[in-house]
Amino acid sequence: MQPELNIVALVSVGQHPKSGRARRAEQDARAVELGLRLSGEKVQVLHAGDVAEESLRSYAGMGLKQLRVLQQSAGADASLALGDYLSEHQPDIVLTGVRAESGESSGMTPYLLAEKLGWPLVTRIADIAKIENGEAEILQALPRGQRRAIKVRLPFVASVDNAAEAPRQSAYGPGRRAQLEPLPWVEAADEVRASFDEAPARKRPKRLKMVKAKTAAERFKAATAKSQGGGGRIMKDEPPREQAQAIFDLLLEEGVLR
Amino acid sequence: MILDWLLPVLLLSVLALALAGAVRRVSLWRAGQPSPVNIISGLMAMPRRYLVDLHHVVERDKYMSNTHVATAGGFVLSLVLILLVHLFGIESKLLAWALLASSVLMFVGATFVYKRRKNPPSRLSKGPWMRLPKSLLVFSATFFIITLPAAGILPEGFGGWVLALILAAGVVWGLGEMVFGMTWGGPMKHAFAGALHLAFHRRPERFGGGRSTGLKPVDLDAPVLGVQKPTDFKWNQLLGFDACVQCGKCEAMCPAFAAGQPLNPKKLIQDMVIGLAGGTDAKFAGSPYPGIELGNAKGGPDSTITEGLVNPDTLWSCTTCRACVEECPMMIEHVDAIVDMRRFLTLEKGNTPGKGAEVLDNLIATDNPNGFEPGSRMNWAADQNLKVMSEVKEADVLFWVSDGAFDMRSQRILRAFVKLLKAANVDFAVLGDEERDSGDVARRLGDDATFQSLAKRNVAVMNQYRFKRIVTTDPHAFHVLKNEYGDFGGHYEVLHHTTFINELVKEGRIQLGAHKGGTVTYHDPCYLGRYNGEYESPRELLAALGIQVAEMERSGFRSRCCGGGGGAPITDIPGERRIADMRMEDANATGAELVAVGCQQCTAMLEGVVEPRPEVKDIAELVADVLVESAEPASRKRDELAVEVA
Amino acid sequence: MSDIIRRDPRAEWIARNRLHPLHAEMAAPVAETRGPSGLIRKNPHAVGFIGPNGIKRIDRMGGNSAAVGMRRGAKSAQQVELPLHKVESPDFYVVAVVDMVGGRLTGHDKDVLGQAHKLIRGAEGNGAVMAVVFGEHKEEAFDKAGVDRLLHLTGSEFDGYCPEQKVANLVEIEKQYQPRYWLFPDSINGGNELGCRLAARLGERPATQAWQVDRETSVCRGSGGLQDITRATPRLLLLAEECADQIDETRHEVLAVELDTRPSIINRLQDCGQVAVDPNSVSLAEAEFILSAGNGIRDWEQFHKAAEVLGATEGASRVAVDDGYMPRFRQVGATGTWVTARVYVAVGISGAVQHMQGIGQCDKVVAVNTDAGCDMVKRADLSVIGDSQKVLEQLIELARDYRQGGAENAA
Repeated sequence: MQPELNIVALVSVGQHPKSGRARRAEQDARAVELGLRLSGEKVQVLHAGDVAEESLRSYAGMGLKQLRVLQQSAGADASLALGDYLSEHQPDIVLTGVRAESGESSGMTPYLLAEKLGWPLVTRIADIAKIENGEAEILQALPRGQRRAIKVRLPFVASVDNAAEAPRQSAYGPGRRAQLEPLPWVEAADEVRASFDEAPARKRPKRLKMVKAKTAAERFKAATAKSQGGGGRIMKDEPPREQAQAIFDLLLEEGVLR
Repeated sequence: MILDWLLPVLLLSVLALALAGAVRRVSLWRAGQPSPVNIISGLMAMPRRYLVDLHHVVERDKYMSNTHVATAGGFVLSLVLILLVHLFGIESKLLAWALLASSVLMFVGATFVYKRRKNPPSRLSKGPWMRLPKSLLVFSATFFIITLPAAGILPEGFGGWVLALILAAGVVWGLGEMVFGMTWGGPMKHAFAGALHLAFHRRPERFGGGRSTGLKPVDLDAPVLGVQKPTDFKWNQLLGFDACVQCGKCEAMCPAFAAGQPLNPKKLIQDMVIGLAGGTDAKFAGSPYPGIELGNAKGGPDSTITEGLVNPDTLWSCTTCRACVEECPMMIEHVDAIVDMRRFLTLEKGNTPGKGAEVLDNLIATDNPNGFEPGSRMNWAADQNLKVMSEVKEADVLFWVSDGAFDMRSQRILRAFVKLLKAANVDFAVLGDEERDSGDVARRLGDDATFQSLAKRNVAVMNQYRFKRIVTTDPHAFHVLKNEYGDFGGHYEVLHHTTFINELVKEGRIQLGAHKGGTVTYHDPCYLGRYNGEYESPRELLAALGIQVAEMERSGFRSRCCGGGGGAPITDIPGERRIADMRMEDANATGAELVAVGCQQCTAMLEGVVEPRPEVKDIAELVADVLVESAEPASRKRDELAVEVA
Repeated sequence: MSDIIRRDPRAEWIARNRLHPLHAEMAAPVAETRGPSGLIRKNPHAVGFIGPNGIKRIDRMGGNSAAVGMRRGAKSAQQVELPLHKVESPDFYVVAVVDMVGGRLTGHDKDVLGQAHKLIRGAEGNGAVMAVVFGEHKEEAFDKAGVDRLLHLTGSEFDGYCPEQKVANLVEIEKQYQPRYWLFPDSINGGNELGCRLAARLGERPATQAWQVDRETSVCRGSGGLQDITRATPRLLLLAEECADQIDETRHEVLAVELDTRPSIINRLQDCGQVAVDPNSVSLAEAEFILSAGNGIRDWEQFHKAAEVLGATEGASRVAVDDGYMPRFRQVGATGTWVTARVYVAVGISGAVQHMQGIGQCDKVVAVNTDAGCDMVKRADLSVIGDSQKVLEQLIELARDYRQGGAENAA
């Protein structure tokens, strides 16, 4: 733990994918968790929005004494307010989620902040392995559980991936008692967003396999082709060697053997 | 004669010491939180509670019951007479003879205690408890001999000073153990604390044949939620811990202990005693928590229980099956204490193990423990054409579907029950998507905030509609709706489906054929049986199907839990065995080919046992299988269809 | 497969020689037979064969050479040359920055290129699709994917992870070509990151997760996928998979274009390379290759060994976990972890409902089981019925041989 570090974790209001109910956002909570592990209770958790938002309490329930809220109305551009605040306070590390679970979910906030602050941005991090002499060793999450090591000098912005350590459970009692400190802040209306037309997501049509056959024979083949599925291959009486070979060939074909 | 002046002095000083001990003990209890009790009526009710309710429990073991009556009765009588004869010096042959008789009675009882202690079962604590029968014998024998002169049988001064010295030593030993030890903290403490515990019990409804099993709500505005340190318990809970006689009946019944999980209810209560008085468990002389060595637990009234005194895993091993509470001759409330401490771990520490955190998050976000879409609660009944309360507003019976709606196995039970309801032409409706999880799991996992939120919203929904009764296939929901929603303004008549079907059968509203197949045994769900006393309806129903139940050794109020209660499958504390496997062994021992169950959780747990094993079926399924659908409703159904087609 | 038609003199000879014992197999089905009433019947289907262009031909030689021709004929139906789409002196560019995973265009990349053409189609002026490729690549079919212009930036500065370097170059492209649209695949393979970085640098507000885009409006997924946002189409778009149809009816020029100034910047992010990840430390939900054990496993040592040798992440059924052979976090299924592996090998798992639910998203499932009738075998793409211990033993050997062979090849 590095208590002298000044870490700010930015949190937003999440949304449950099934019920659509407000909750703590998964990635933001991971950012808070990472902050807590790096600098303990000293981590500063920042939200731009409404201090009365109930779901903020579930971040506080992770063991925060206080949570700072830049007061913004619903239609304001949060990244501007956050950018102002951060350039004023100049922390060492800014942690965010990759993408918000509500609103536009563009995932632009960390990029805009990094651009505004002029700091490097490390995307999709899984962990911060160590911080020494003003340089951080970071593990970046790659698809399929792979990791890449990156070194970067402080200060920097990092977006925390789902691969990071799962956030600790939010406890009700501390969440109730934590102090939500509202800071009146200048707000800029998000005019582009105001022109958006938002509706519940439609089901996207699955792309059909179009058959563009040039010849009658191809058309005939396409029309009578056996449909996929309908049971796989079963090897029953072959010797184990052959059976193992078949499995092995499949593994090779799928390219999972490294 | 030395004894003539020494005895009253000894008596007086022991009484004074006992008084000091009592003051100390009482002050330990009073460090707990206030809990309103009616002191006068409690004390007035105490003898009856002791002689009737407590004796009722003790009497399950005839040997111990008779022994205790002799020993305790003899002792109380002797002590009163000793004070009269030897302290106040009332010279009455009659009293002396009575004292002789009572000490003989006590001696006889004590010999039986001694015999029992010769080769004690493992559930009994050893240590000072092994000394107790000797103390009892010494006490009764000493006062028998001392009283002989007063009764005129022996001359004064008999035996000279040697005997007098021996007798004086006996008096000191006997009085020390029996009177001073009673209040200061020896084995006899159970008599003092136990009597007061009965008088000031936190659930007085339990006496006189009543039942009180619902958990008490947490005040969510309190500075600390749940129990962090021993003094956070209510004072009468602390008193209750002190009443423990360490008989180990709870230990013998506890499914978690039997499965090798780190829980022993007796040890837990003793740890609470260590907590309230301060100290370590090095002197504990019973079975330890499986897998945890003795001697490392330390505690005090103001130190956090789960840091040093009790391992959190111990608390999370409990299935809240209430077997310990049912068995406890002192009527101690183990489950209350465990859930109180869990509340602290969940609400204050955010430390629910296993999948607990995930389940609670899901309950908060989706009102069901598995995070399914709240709007898909009625998908199981897409083909059932059920009436929904939000449309009909009124029905005779509200069918509480429970979260079984999301589980494919439980849906079979639900369908079977709906088939029966329809066959009996019951006017029923469901809440549909307005229903939420009953909150049972959240509450047992210690998250009373989520429980209260769910309960309040469920009550608000139900209070919009008019219905006479609620019926549910889930004993957990049944218990919560019936016993725990009252605190939130929900007072309902709630029936378990086996009770309701039994009613329908008795009224002749459904016709049944006979069950075909081999031997059947019945597993009592804890939340139906021990929590709510319903043992008969399921058995009557099975009898109505022509089934003669091959009872398991542990059945009825002694039924063994399936391991599925109290969030135990969620917290998933490792043990040496699985509780469900042990329960299935119980069933196997009866030679049953089918285990009849009345709970979807039990069904899931028992079906999780690796085959070969008996089949597991809910009673609703068994009944629906042999339902004779009468011609009349069938033709009506055809008419309805015709109308729909037209 | 080569398109050259080769003669098989022996087959022709047998077909001619009616006395040869194999004649009946080599010759085409008889076109004329004498029916039961004594009349001659003609079988029109037996007459002729499919010629080299896929058209049926009737051979007046009496079918003597039919069998020989038929085998080759259908296969060598000629590849039709697609028409070449040419853009001369384009008026504007639509730039697509492609992911090139493994040096090749991904399906997602092709979708993006398709979208680029969709934005050009019907617009005024001559638009060309420019693909930007960083570093070395192995792609040979840029023409068929719809690349009119290819800006291929090579050099050691593009080795490894260098988003800042790439963005600096994209900014140069912006200066030199002023593309009408910037298109990126909204993917975790770099497209999303580059797109967002460029958007932040240029001060553009991108459309993200856009899945239905035309020149006026774009429909994007928002609120973590719960909402559709309809908005005016911006200049910079991060496109979802299957946003548009891929190009498949035209070929394109793939003319190389150059970037005049190559910016040089100092990378603030220092790439220290990929970290070796123990497959067993990968979380089950993320793992791409899972070897999962159930009740049917007897030799657990061997199972762990197999997982290690194959480089698979270990999984387990509920029963195996309950019995204490595997830790709880290894449990696969609705009550454990929902997995998304590409290959899931279930050894000795018969497949309870909850387990099958948990592997619903796996691509290929292999079952090793003694019971051919169990649910896992029904679901599996390849099932091996037999003693799992023997099969695993052989599998371990095969994997060892393969590893050693690989080592030799590398050496």
